[in-house]
Amino acid sequence: MKVIAASEIHGNAGLDDKALKAALSQYLASPPRRIDRLIFQALLGAALLKDKVRSDCGLYLASRHPARPTMGALLDAVCVQQRQPKPFEFVNSVSNAAGFHVAQQLGLEGPNLFVGAGPRVWPQLQRLAALDLADGLVSQALLVVVEDLGDFRVQAVLLERGTQTTVAEDFAALTAGIAALRLDL
Amino acid sequence: MIPVYLQRGALHSALGADLGTAADNLLADRRPQPTSFLLHELQQPRPYFAVAGTQAPDARLDRLLHETLGDTAASDCLLIVASTALDITELEARTTAEGGFHFEHSTALDLLAERLRDRHGFAEAFTLNTACTSAANGLLYGARLLASGAYQQVLVLAFETPSAVAQQGFGALDLTSPSGAYRPFHPERDGLILGECYCATLLGREPGPAPLARLLGGFSACDTSSLTTTREDGSHIDWVMRRALQVAGVGAGQIGLAKLHGTATGANDQAESAGMRLLYPEAMPPLAVLKPWLGHTLGACGLSETLLLLAALRRGALPPLDYADAALLPLPSAPTVIAPDALLLANFFGFGGNNASLVLQGIGQ
Repeated sequence: MKVIAASEIHGNAGLDDKALKAALSQYLASPPRRIDRLIFQALLGAALLKDKVRSDCGLYLASRHPARPTMGALLDAVCVQQRQPKPFEFVNSVSNAAGFHVAQQLGLEGPNLFVGAGPRVWPQLQRLAALDLADGLVSQALLVVVEDLGDFRVQAVLLERGTQTTVAEDFAALTAGIAALRLDL
Repeated sequence: MIPVYLQRGALHSALGADLGTAADNLLADRRPQPTSFLLHELQQPRPYFAVAGTQAPDARLDRLLHETLGDTAASDCLLIVASTALDITELEARTTAEGGFHFEHSTALDLLAERLRDRHGFAEAFTLNTACTSAANGLLYGARLLASGAYQQVLVLAFETPSAVAQQGFGALDLTSPSGAYRPFHPERDGLILGECYCATLLGREPGPAPLARLLGGFSACDTSSLTTTREDGSHIDWVMRRALQVAGVGAGQIGLAKLHGTATGANDQAESAGMRLLYPEAMPPLAVLKPWLGHTLGACGLSETLLLLAALRRGALPPLDYADAALLPLPSAPTVIAPDALLLANFFGFGGNNASLVLQGIGQ
């Protein structure tokens, strides 16, 4: 696989959804409404690479956690307040909701996978993407990893089919040959 | 795609304590007796297909893995966990006990996969969550990882636990059936019944001693028209089915039976009907729906329904549906018998625009 472009975003825990929406508006003409923190973060990571992405691109998105504010609202409503959840919160809690919004905003038509990110997430995403690239199902693969431990980090890499067959251990190794776009929020 | 074998399978569901019992109950048209939960605020009852017994989730998953692995060494095997629920019931219990959710309660999405990897010694493990196509994608990508030579075996584990968030969430979306009559493609269908289940299959490049089927191919893609439904004209579903058939090297006319997704929700069944009519403008192959017997097992349905279908077809004739004459699609009005080695098309569609179709070939006993 060949690395075409990459992005890395760092944000602090104090940034609220309004600030994330303002940042996203710098890159997307009509960001979706009523979305949660994970969706904002995934969209930001992908939006930085938007100009290089074609429609026949697969999306391989991973996050270590769900959006905690959404999970908290759902669990509190259902388990403590004995209320029905708000429909948009329930729908946003589906893990691949973030992938849907990235695909919609970037016009991606290929496979759209969501993986629970663990310590070996970058090799896992590369192996999944390599299958679709090798079989010609897509001509590009967009890998996005969100890590939110209070302060958050979003790393994204755009790949195409190439001669390189080894799998990089992490984002740094994968993007060693190119300059990643960086954004600090 | 290089075909891969489903060497073994296990299913614990409301329809039966094991796959064989569930298949026998399906063939005899014995449906599970639903339990019930109340929608918050509305205080209206909704049916639920629960698995009998009170075994802890970890113990259930361990038992399932032992049944499926048999004497296969886990150290050569990739584990793919496909589920939308994961550890949500543990989080629900903790939130209830502590009077609210706190940031530190949040567990990693790969927690269960990592725990199982450590306990059983799998070579690698990851969690795949693409809503109702999770297990279908687990089968599809697991098979291709296996065929690529990355692993010697792949075990796909899929499950859905009785989550209050899922029950109330689907209720809030007005997608759960008030009547309890689970009738996919009926003109007056009134929604789905959620189902608890735990299932697993072992994929191998060789058939093994008692293979269930060959997975010939499939395709999965995202319809970005709506987060919760797919295009009602069926065009995306039609495209996904065609791509799946192309990957498998099979023509639509060769399919011996199509297993429909059939959630019995308004928009989903409409879209799948339209998609099937685009793929089959004239005669359709025999059709099957399985959710009336298993419930909608969400992220697990790609495997639970595949295993149930394969096991049932080896044993007898699938039961007819008593409303077939009124249905949107030509559902069976008489028992369905097909050849043991028939080609099967299996559809799985879900939230997030995820649509997936698999092409399999049954293997007789």
